[in-house]
Amino acid sequence: MDALLTKSEEKITPATKQKITGSEALLRCLVEEKVQHIFGYPGGAIMPIYDALYSYADKLTHLLVRHEQGAIHAAQGYARVSGKTGVVFATSGPGATNLVTGLADALIDSTPVVCITGQVFAHLLGTDAFQEIDVINTTLPVTKWNIQVTEAKDIAPAIAKAFYIAASGRPGPVLVDITKNAQNELIEEFEYQPCKAVRTYKPKPGLQSEQIIEAATLINNAKRPYILAGQGILLSGATKELIAFSEKTGIPVASTLLGLGAFPTNHPNYVGYLGMHGNYGPNINTNQCDVLIAVGMRFDDRVTGNVSKYANQARVIHIEIDKAEINKIIKAEVAVHADAKEALTELVKHCKPNRFTEWINSFKALNQEEFEKVVEKEIKNTNSLKMAEVVHMLSELTNGEAVVVTDVGQHQMVTSRYYKYKNPRTNITSGGAGTMGFALPAAMGAKVASPNQQVIAIIGDGGYQMTIQELGTIMQYKIPVKILVLNNNFLGMVRQWQQLFHGKRYSFTEMDNPDFVKIAEAYKIQADKVTEQVNLESALKRMLESPSSYFLEVVVEKEDNVFPMVPAGAGVAEIILEIPKAN
Amino acid sequence: MKQDFTLEIASDNNFSILNRIVNVLNRRRVRIKKLIAHENEDDFRKGGAVLLLHTTPDLMEKVKHQLEKLIEVEYAKYTNGSEQYLELSEKIVDID
Repeated sequence: MDALLTKSEEKITPATKQKITGSEALLRCLVEEKVQHIFGYPGGAIMPIYDALYSYADKLTHLLVRHEQGAIHAAQGYARVSGKTGVVFATSGPGATNLVTGLADALIDSTPVVCITGQVFAHLLGTDAFQEIDVINTTLPVTKWNIQVTEAKDIAPAIAKAFYIAASGRPGPVLVDITKNAQNELIEEFEYQPCKAVRTYKPKPGLQSEQIIEAATLINNAKRPYILAGQGILLSGATKELIAFSEKTGIPVASTLLGLGAFPTNHPNYVGYLGMHGNYGPNINTNQCDVLIAVGMRFDDRVTGNVSKYANQARVIHIEIDKAEINKIIKAEVAVHADAKEALTELVKHCKPNRFTEWINSFKALNQEEFEKVVEKEIKNTNSLKMAEVVHMLSELTNGEAVVVTDVGQHQMVTSRYYKYKNPRTNITSGGAGTMGFALPAAMGAKVASPNQQVIAIIGDGGYQMTIQELGTIMQYKIPVKILVLNNNFLGMVRQWQQLFHGKRYSFTEMDNPDFVKIAEAYKIQADKVTEQVNLESALKRMLESPSSYFLEVVVEKEDNVFPMVPAGAGVAEIILEIPKAN
Repeated sequence: MKQDFTLEIASDNNFSILNRIVNVLNRRRVRIKKLIAHENEDDFRKGGAVLLLHTTPDLMEKVKHQLEKLIEVEYAKYTNGSEQYLELSEKIVDID
């Protein structure tokens, strides 16, 4: 038809807009959101997106993982170290369901991730088509928000909303499920509109000055105030504000597992790590303080122990951005529903300068008792290799400045206790969900996000084998991450519980392991193994100095236990320093 | 002590919202005695639900905040007893 038009007719024809596919629209959205890296795995229902991605290699770097769980943990590590939103691609059906563990992990640990999943054609939805799974309902309880898109025109608004929701307020994972017809469909080119608000969603509460005044009044009259620092400090970037608040008021600070790094461990007001395997002072003194100031934390049961025995004497101030967390576990006398940074910035203005030397010394005396009964024996042990001495030595060699990614179990608790974190966003671990298999892919993602930092994955022999396939990704993209496996041939934490609470009946916790060094070498990763204490320091140094990816296995004491410990059902003040006599 | 509560929820109206609401209640093992879901007559993009629940006052308050945390929920408010449920459900049925 066009050939039949005269020149003059051509001039008056409205300029036809160039059309693009839904898939290309998606990629343009990602570029607009300043996404640089995608962790993904292709499959039938997401092929149009991968086809479009072929032409976007100069704008978007895609890393082909070896399992979708690896993709989402990598995106989590990426997000946790950088503060940016991690992005994942996966196909429909099993591709999408393989993301579920990571989504749950990201939700409970407040990690911003956007997952794009392919889905079967819209007309096949609900027909049990090949690789069709109801991804929306499957992931509904483990996402902050999810949406299915069945028309190309809806892709851009959905992606804009996804990025906004994932990163705002209390961050979390969002999943966008896009049917194949929407990926193929042509739409007119669009102008990307970033999302700035959602009608029904209020991510950032306004600071209420009366709450701040009430909190300041309690603090100014306190005799033994105590700050519990959670991950909310890191998420709101409030480390400076927390230090200023603690220094002005003289109040001691303890950290939750995910809060490690939010307050420097070498600060004189830092009194230790809280929780089931935390330090003696912070746990005992939880039941001695008169005002408890919880900032950006959610009173997880690993922090509180038996709630009925938790800080009953204390007047609680809870500063928290997520309203559903306030009064959920521990009743707050003063609830400050706010962003941690904004709240601390305002609160410090209303608090009097103070010093609590005697109070802080009481923590130090208790921690000294722990040092003599536990720490000293662990790090200065001469008989066999203990996990604690490995982590302690690593902490010394890296000056507490590496990004340390841990899995779940004994090695995780030991690392939380013995690695002396100095900087924010350097402790990456699976806290709330306790996902074994998290560390290797998360470390990979962390290194991609922050190539200039030393990134070390510390993993047990059990968890390592849950996502070991990601060595392939590390090999392919030459990601210079350091992998330190503490091998005790046991599922150590379960074994410890079996020893303490199940009469030493080691039911299915002992593992025959493969030759980890050979496996690493098969993936072209330099590898080493330490079995004797005398070789530990030099082996760690070689690992740290290596410019490329490096695997180090340290064979540690088989039946080593992590102490102190708040036994299950006990209160925090009932923390024990050693195995009770009966065991 | 467990008692009846009428819970009124205003939300966006989309395919998954009812599941999201029920999920929060199921997870907390809150008994749902009655439920009416509806879309708004003047704007089909908005909707809501009225539920008659049986639970403790403490859990009711906690669940309200967990429901309000759902992205599509505009508000969740509750009253003691079933009277309000009857009033609200009659209104919804009248509209239909």
